[in-house]
Amino acid sequence: MRAPRLIASTVALLLALSGIALAAPADSLSGKAPPAKNTCLDCHRRAEEARISGPTVHWAQDIHAVRGLGCVACHGGDPTDSDLSAMDPDKGFRGKPERDQIAELCAKCHADAAYMKRFNPRPYVFSMAEFRTSVHCKKISEGDKKVATCTNCHGVHGILPPKDPSSPVFHRNVPLTCSKCHNAEYMKGRKVPTNQFALYRKSVHGIALLDHDDASAPACNDCHGNHGAVPPNTRDITLVCANCHGREGELFMASKVKAAFDKMGMRGCVTCHSNHDVERPTDAMLSTGPGGVCSGCHAPGSAGERGARTIIDGFTHLKASIANADSLLKLAEYRGMETTEAREAWRASQDRLVAVRAAIHSFDTQTVGAVVAEGDEFATKARGAGLSALRDWRNRRIGMGLSLLVILATIGLLIVKIRGIESR
Amino acid sequence: VSGPLSEWLRDRLGLDDLQHLADKKQVPIHRHSFWYYWGGMTLFLFGIQVCTGILLLLYYRASSDEAYESVRFIMTQVSFGWLIRSIHSWSANLMIGAAMVHMFSAFLMKAYRRPREVTWLSGMVLLGLSLAFGFSGYLLPWNQLAFFATKVGTDITGAVPVIGPFMLRFLRGGDHITGATLTRFFGFHVAILPAIATMILGVHLYLVQRHGMSVPPGIEDRGTQPPPMKFVPNFLLRDMVGWLAALGALALLAALLPWELGLKADPYVPAPAGIKPEWYFGWMFQTLRMLPSHILGLEGELIGIIGIGLAGGVWLLVPFLDDPRGRGPRGRFWSGLGVVAIIYITLFTLLVYRGGKP
Repeated sequence: MRAPRLIASTVALLLALSGIALAAPADSLSGKAPPAKNTCLDCHRRAEEARISGPTVHWAQDIHAVRGLGCVACHGGDPTDSDLSAMDPDKGFRGKPERDQIAELCAKCHADAAYMKRFNPRPYVFSMAEFRTSVHCKKISEGDKKVATCTNCHGVHGILPPKDPSSPVFHRNVPLTCSKCHNAEYMKGRKVPTNQFALYRKSVHGIALLDHDDASAPACNDCHGNHGAVPPNTRDITLVCANCHGREGELFMASKVKAAFDKMGMRGCVTCHSNHDVERPTDAMLSTGPGGVCSGCHAPGSAGERGARTIIDGFTHLKASIANADSLLKLAEYRGMETTEAREAWRASQDRLVAVRAAIHSFDTQTVGAVVAEGDEFATKARGAGLSALRDWRNRRIGMGLSLLVILATIGLLIVKIRGIESR
Repeated sequence: VSGPLSEWLRDRLGLDDLQHLADKKQVPIHRHSFWYYWGGMTLFLFGIQVCTGILLLLYYRASSDEAYESVRFIMTQVSFGWLIRSIHSWSANLMIGAAMVHMFSAFLMKAYRRPREVTWLSGMVLLGLSLAFGFSGYLLPWNQLAFFATKVGTDITGAVPVIGPFMLRFLRGGDHITGATLTRFFGFHVAILPAIATMILGVHLYLVQRHGMSVPPGIEDRGTQPPPMKFVPNFLLRDMVGWLAALGALALLAALLPWELGLKADPYVPAPAGIKPEWYFGWMFQTLRMLPSHILGLEGELIGIIGIGLAGGVWLLVPFLDDPRGRGPRGRFWSGLGVVAIIYITLFTLLVYRGGKP
């Protein structure tokens, strides 16, 4: 009895999968109220074939189920009917959507701000228009079956909200999720780079996000977008980097170097810092010699090289001043001297050093020079306070020595006096 | 000194009476006479505290916004401010140390016997006041260490049965340590405690003058004694040698180990690791720390506080519990108990600094 029923169910499902209608409005997709019954689960759970029972395994954790939506919301049909007739197309049954229809199906609800507000007062509203700008969507439209759509990144029948650390689109999991397709094997035969994940993994961003769980570090989608994922072909790559590195971006956009880069067709930030394998910028990059980024463009003796040298000299001088002040203060602190105020000046000089590192992106000797001078003023103040503390320390020792001599002499006189009195 | 002015002063101030007192005052000489210097030493260090405290008051500002900055100003901008603050802090510790030596020597020499019971009681009150001076003064620089040490200290006060919760709020000026606590502690430190201490000190010195120095029972039993020493000038000059030595020690400590200021108190950061009270509270802190969390169904801390309170009470009342002559088995029992107390306090104080754990 059980086998014929199973065969009948399977046949009916396969038949249903072939006929999909996507004209249903968002309200009918979701159902105005959660269905009282969900007979789909009753049958699918019992099915022996994994393809049929699979969707039920993680369904209870799916955010849609948690929010009270049933299978009917996406697949249509009659969830109150416990027979195969539940999957009658006349009852709105749509079965499994085709790949090129999935985004449209999801958009029925997710692009409807009013509907999404029922679940979250500040909902993320999906934009089909944005998705259409993505390479993914364009390829799908061209009939490419190996391109990602909603379910490839978010999963299906067990979809977790993006804030859930187990979700494949949780910030930290995004690089790995992207790399499931963007790898040499999957992309075989396509003219798409496939080493991004390997490069990103050892970059400053990858290390921060994946090794140090630094949520402020960017994942793939922070530069490429997510639903509109494309190579960052904004007007300028600098605009992408400037989303996080605001000050550097602002200064660079206004710099002469930016104009020169544009003329030469060079790609802003990436020229010096690279993109997927961007490394932690070090001060060693500031050099007109080997290992520095300046020498890549500026020939020795050129005006650019002289300007770069001026900037580098100012930066190196400030670093040395700060290090010198620090060593003096450390010695004073080791000797027990109070250096709180001096340390405040020293910390201000450190802040200016960070500001100089940003100001360098202006490639303007005056802009950098002004911040260097400011930092140098604080470093000099801290150094002066350190020297003063060490001078005080020496003076205190001399004072202590002298006062001890006076005290010892007085003690000696007192002893003589006592002996004098008692010998009488 | 003679002359019309001297005569005038002698007449108006009754200097002859003082001269008579000074001539009359004598100090017994025996092998334990060394311990007689410690009362004078404590008094000298108290004088240093008063002088340096008044100087610090010229610049100190008692509010949570300004206290730390004003102490930093004293240490970095005021001429010799670092010296005054360092001496005040070091001298406070030396004074409590000297007071403890004085108290234990008086205990072991049984100087509390009749008729000196009230001298002992007033001395014990003075020691308690010294600890209160130390506790209240420790918070005044409003630095991290002081903030959390005061929190731990007042928390312990809060665990005292019946009056604990009231005492906690009374000391803190609320439920938490805030600027109100600082203002309150400042008031205790510079007004209330000095006023009480001056009165009790007056009583203590009067009683010392009235009853003279006590001779330990063991020395009394020997019969003939060496002739006593005149207080003025012989003993006083020796006292001064000790005071000068203490002054030299303070100069050394202030110059070589200046009292540090640390970081400004911030109630929102975690307590620094290894927070511990000032050394003179160490043995009590360590006792409470080593007790199990529950003893016979009662909280270990509560038992500890009650135990320390009872021990303090017994210690205070020892003049009335010991043999009136300090002799016999009862006398020996109390002497033995004194030795045990010294060993216990020394050991548990050291354990705090060795990071002793249960």
